[in-house]
Amino acid sequence: MTTGAANQLTFGRGRRLGTRVALRLGSVVTAIIVVVLLAPVLTVIAVSFSQAEFFEFPPKALGFRQYDTLFSDTDWLKAVGLSFRIAIPAALISALISVPTVLAIYRSSLRGRQALQFTSMLSLIIPISAYAVAMYGVFAQFQLVGTYIGLVIANTVLAFPLTLAVVAAAMSRVPQELELAAMIAGASRARAWMQITGRLLLPALLGGTLLAFIASFDEAVMINFVGGAGQITLPKAIFDSVRYGVDPVITAIATLLMVGTGVLMFAIVRLRGAGNPEGGS
Amino acid sequence: MTTVLDIQDVSKRYDDTVALKSATLSVVEGEFLTLLGPSGSGKTTLLRIIAGFQAPTGGSVLLRGRDITGLWPAERGIGMVFQQYALFPHMTVGDNIAYGLKQRKWKKPARQERVREMLDLVRLPGLEGRYPRQLSGGQQQRVALARALAYSPEILLMDEPLGALDRTLRLEMEEELRRIHRDMRATVIYVTHDQQEALALSDRIAVMRAGEICALSTPEDLYRRPNSGFVARFFADANVLPAKVISESAGRAVVECLGGRLECSVTGERADEMALVARRRSLKPGAVDGALSVRGTVNETLLLGEELEVTMSVPEVGRVVATISATALDEVAVGQELELFLPPDEAVLVPVD
Repeated sequence: MTTGAANQLTFGRGRRLGTRVALRLGSVVTAIIVVVLLAPVLTVIAVSFSQAEFFEFPPKALGFRQYDTLFSDTDWLKAVGLSFRIAIPAALISALISVPTVLAIYRSSLRGRQALQFTSMLSLIIPISAYAVAMYGVFAQFQLVGTYIGLVIANTVLAFPLTLAVVAAAMSRVPQELELAAMIAGASRARAWMQITGRLLLPALLGGTLLAFIASFDEAVMINFVGGAGQITLPKAIFDSVRYGVDPVITAIATLLMVGTGVLMFAIVRLRGAGNPEGGS
Repeated sequence: MTTVLDIQDVSKRYDDTVALKSATLSVVEGEFLTLLGPSGSGKTTLLRIIAGFQAPTGGSVLLRGRDITGLWPAERGIGMVFQQYALFPHMTVGDNIAYGLKQRKWKKPARQERVREMLDLVRLPGLEGRYPRQLSGGQQQRVALARALAYSPEILLMDEPLGALDRTLRLEMEEELRRIHRDMRATVIYVTHDQQEALALSDRIAVMRAGEICALSTPEDLYRRPNSGFVARFFADANVLPAKVISESAGRAVVECLGGRLECSVTGERADEMALVARRRSLKPGAVDGALSVRGTVNETLLLGEELEVTMSVPEVGRVVATISATALDEVAVGQELELFLPPDEAVLVPVD
């Protein structure tokens, strides 16, 4: 942001001294922010490739020791497995519900469809810890605390608004005339929907699903309330591990998480670009 | 002349508003019929009912004698061009044009052949591989037209198709539409709020107002013999002067207007309040026998080349606009008093509204 504005201003020649100082200062501040943001990331990546049994920075010897430990430890692998088993269904259910929901909001004459959109977004607005406490209360009534099903439900509720927001934004860019044009040309309502609107929403739907997956995979608050003792997801395992001292294995996990999330985020950005009917990203 | 479309007493009511009171209309084969009216007059509602996007509250729509009122849009065999073109952004120009053919299960070679034919018709040969976003607005509109005509629909509906184009392009497209209408011998129902467009394109015009068709005739007839003050104002930008009927016989009437008397023909219905229609070019600077004098103060003049448009304010009437020959008067200055004359054979007596 700051560098962008600075670049635009350099087009004017003979700038006053005050402006030059302000621009230089802006660049320095931006540089500091970037360093502060990136430093921990780079530290974690560096440590993950150290051969030490303890947290060592800068690493004296490089190697894959942390990764070897991670992939031979069944507890860590179980936690990763559970996170996948929760995040995948949560993301898919979010995607499945989001399609009829945007249809109802944008194409139906359903009473209270604005309210539907608002309530769908509620879990984004309510503070997560307060929400988790409430959910614990509800889950306790139905014996869902500490169950796999309970965790899938809880994560779906948290992830759904993200998917809905992405899909709804894409839907608002698809004019209804496109469906009408397909229908008058001979397509049934269902076919017009599948071939035109549905097809145009597909990139956003995939992006929204990935977003929901990342959010569920990374969920670290709710799990402490409704996970009980037996259900340990990856974020919970990291949390527990840090509580009893610093195990350098978590730097390997963190590095893998960052790489994985980065790849998915890149995919989402590309998908949203492809989904824009005007072209361009 | 074969009737293609029959609209019988069609109406549309929402909870507490009436979008369309009652419309009855026949369209014959090869005709270019325009629904002309200001926004909210019901013209788009009527078009959407014909397309099948909305169900009418009452009445029926017949296509070649077959009742299609309850059919899905897809079952009607109608083509439509939308205001914003509504091309499918994820399909090429060729796939857009072939969309209706694909729904009709045409084989691929036949589809490709037809796409080429249609692109030739709209003068965009060789563009089947492009995407809509790579085309200009005018080109997109041509593709939309080609898509709607590809499967030879019984009738082509057009919803303000030139509204999104600039003036030069609009005039060019009007000419293209006339040519394509001729070449394809298509039956067209065209919706617009622009009377110039309606005048340039139509065989017949249905003027709509407040959910009703208030006049239905050829452009020339509507222009020369409007049946109400509204039609005269909206369609011909004519001046409407309140008048009182003194005597009437055999289609002729003597009326009192602006303190003078005039004999004129009666074309419309009779109502309590009548008015004289004075088209802009009917008002002339020179006095003729039996002409009505229209006297006022000049507010504005606008030179249109050969002609001069004079806006003046006339007591009891208000704003009156006349288009006179630029050389007929030596000088017309703002603020000056001006007397113009309405010859008896140019005036038409109509209900005020």
